[in-house]
Amino acid sequence: MTGIRIALAGNPNVGKTTLFNALTGSRQHVGNWPGVTVEKKTGRITRNGHTVEVIDLPGTYSLTACSADEVVARDYILDEKPDVVVQVVDATNLERNLYLTTQLAELKTPIVIALNMADMAEAQGDPIDREKLSEFLEIPVVRTVGTRGDGLDALLDAAIREAETSPHHEHTVGYGSEAETMIATLTDALSADRDLAGRYPLRWLAVRLLEGDENVLSRLRKGPASARVEEILSRIDTDEYEALMADKRYEAISAVLPQVRKANPREMSPSDMVDRVVTDRYLGIPIFLALMWGAFELTFTVATPFMTTIDGGVAWLAELVAGSIEPAWLASLLGDGIIGGVGSVLIFLPNIFLLFLILAVLEDSGYLARAAFIMDRPLYALGLPGKSFVPMLVGFGCNVPAIMATRSIEGEKDRLLTILVNPFMSCSARLPVYILFAGVFFPEQAGSVVFFLYVLGIAVAIASAKLFRSTILPGEASPFIMEMPPYRIPTATTALLHMWTRGSMYVRKAGTIILTGVLVVWILASFPFGVEYGGAGSFAGMIGHAIEPLVAPLGFDWKVAVALIFGFIAKEIVVGSLGTLYGTGEETLPSALLADPGLSAATALALMVFVLLYTPCVAALGVIRKETGSWKWTGFSVAYGLVVAWLLAFAVGHAAGLFMGGI
Amino acid sequence: MGAVCPLALLAAGTEATIADVRAGRGMRLRLAGMGLCPDARVRVQCADRGSLIVSVGDARYALSRGIAMKILVMEAA
Repeated sequence: MTGIRIALAGNPNVGKTTLFNALTGSRQHVGNWPGVTVEKKTGRITRNGHTVEVIDLPGTYSLTACSADEVVARDYILDEKPDVVVQVVDATNLERNLYLTTQLAELKTPIVIALNMADMAEAQGDPIDREKLSEFLEIPVVRTVGTRGDGLDALLDAAIREAETSPHHEHTVGYGSEAETMIATLTDALSADRDLAGRYPLRWLAVRLLEGDENVLSRLRKGPASARVEEILSRIDTDEYEALMADKRYEAISAVLPQVRKANPREMSPSDMVDRVVTDRYLGIPIFLALMWGAFELTFTVATPFMTTIDGGVAWLAELVAGSIEPAWLASLLGDGIIGGVGSVLIFLPNIFLLFLILAVLEDSGYLARAAFIMDRPLYALGLPGKSFVPMLVGFGCNVPAIMATRSIEGEKDRLLTILVNPFMSCSARLPVYILFAGVFFPEQAGSVVFFLYVLGIAVAIASAKLFRSTILPGEASPFIMEMPPYRIPTATTALLHMWTRGSMYVRKAGTIILTGVLVVWILASFPFGVEYGGAGSFAGMIGHAIEPLVAPLGFDWKVAVALIFGFIAKEIVVGSLGTLYGTGEETLPSALLADPGLSAATALALMVFVLLYTPCVAALGVIRKETGSWKWTGFSVAYGLVVAWLLAFAVGHAAGLFMGGI
Repeated sequence: MGAVCPLALLAAGTEATIADVRAGRGMRLRLAGMGLCPDARVRVQCADRGSLIVSVGDARYALSRGIAMKILVMEAA
């Protein structure tokens, strides 16, 4: 055999993706919260002449899928039939993990268990007797530590061996005489469906039917066996069997557990003590807000010296170009267009790097899941499940993966609601706009202004959810249930790697989409031939002046209008366009903005609010279309965002104008 | 053996055994996969007006009041 497909399956947050990255050399996103991976990812390696395709699946507690990501995992295992399923098992949480093993074993797929995080189990004084476990389960068990890459070769070898021999597991849970009689009756009835019998083991089908699995029932609909099976099922109370079977599985597991490990679960771990404080009824939300404020204050203060350096470099380059390049149009293209536009975006690289570093620490620590728990009560009252808060916080990085992350939300309406409000969570692309304007117009309180914008984003998201719930998406939020992973000290390598991956994406974006955007703006500002650069007669001027009446009540002039239009493509382009339109000339963009009599502090505030809330960027719209499957909702998202942005920018700008004067 | 009551009513630090899960089938199967099924031993780690963090073996779950009311438990003596 040369080509082998190995699927990595297992409970959420057991380290499947960490293992996948270690095996294939990929850099898929990992984090310490359940639901990071929501779609399957594929990687290829060769080992001893075998081409091995490794498929990383979303986590699932059982083969009864409840959410869109679990469906991906279940359907892959059932329908694509990988040669081997490697079940990644959290060694510190054996009992629950083995529940899925009992279901996989009934499927008769070759299985290998990766006993992952084995180092943590050992450190807790709870080592697992791997050989005994393997003997009891009749499944190869390999000790792995995904974060250190321990046991990878042994795991691959075991998987390849299983794929080649494809052994049949006869070792499955016995459900007691009454249930076994029913299973036998059902198996007999099912055997009439040849096609089905060829695809799935009959015993597995019978067990799932007895448990009342709707998905399995739908798989045999209209087949030759369905009438008889339905007749058998109608005679019995499947509710009773379902409880019994879960019970028997755990019974079988608890018969094995004491033989393979000594320790009993600890009643109160350090994680639990931290939870007592951070999930406290009164302290929970203040602690969350304080952490957030601290994070943005940090992004601002730590980054400043680095920004000044980059700023100096950009200014020096602009001066060099302006002074030495002929002809003048080329100097303008390079200076005003590229350096002014892309340079003004690159200045914020230190902030972006820091933001992603902080987000990585947040994701790896395990706090993200707690934030969802703290927010469950207020969110539930407003019609959102607490679980929605996880994709919302992921949105601080980028709304595209955040909208994908909604797949772990169970109810369809809940999921749609979470998708629709996600763009209000301020992504990293909007940060440059805030830092530029807050830095210029509110130099003393820049960190707090940025914090205010993020909180405003959350507030608008939550208020919109409430509005949608009472109008277009009526209903109640589905109940909240989420695993709280143990806290972990984030490792420097993971955090730095995460920061580097996401940060370098920003650089790449600056060199591609943003560069293209600012070049278009430069062309529009330079033509028709012979007009004053960026003057009223240029195409940019014409477009801007045409739009100006719409945004004039907010205090925005035509240059801002042009920047906002191009911000549809990517929100960093708002800064890039302004950099191009103001030109670099003798002064930098911040001083040019400060010198513009049309811009006041109140206008700047209104602009930041507008950029926070208006229409999601093209990439986010693409993923909204994909995940909702509807142009109607995508269009709604655009229109709603524009209206809300306009209204709130108007309100904030004028309110600020009363205090600070001028809009 | 104590009386049966909803999990939501337990105070932090209490241990109990699940007696019954009065939820729809989908939710019951989901909870079973997570280890929250009859006969499982749970311990309330944090409790806030019905919202809980409970431990089952080595796993910790946050549950909203809605679910915690549907899980009936028998308090350990």
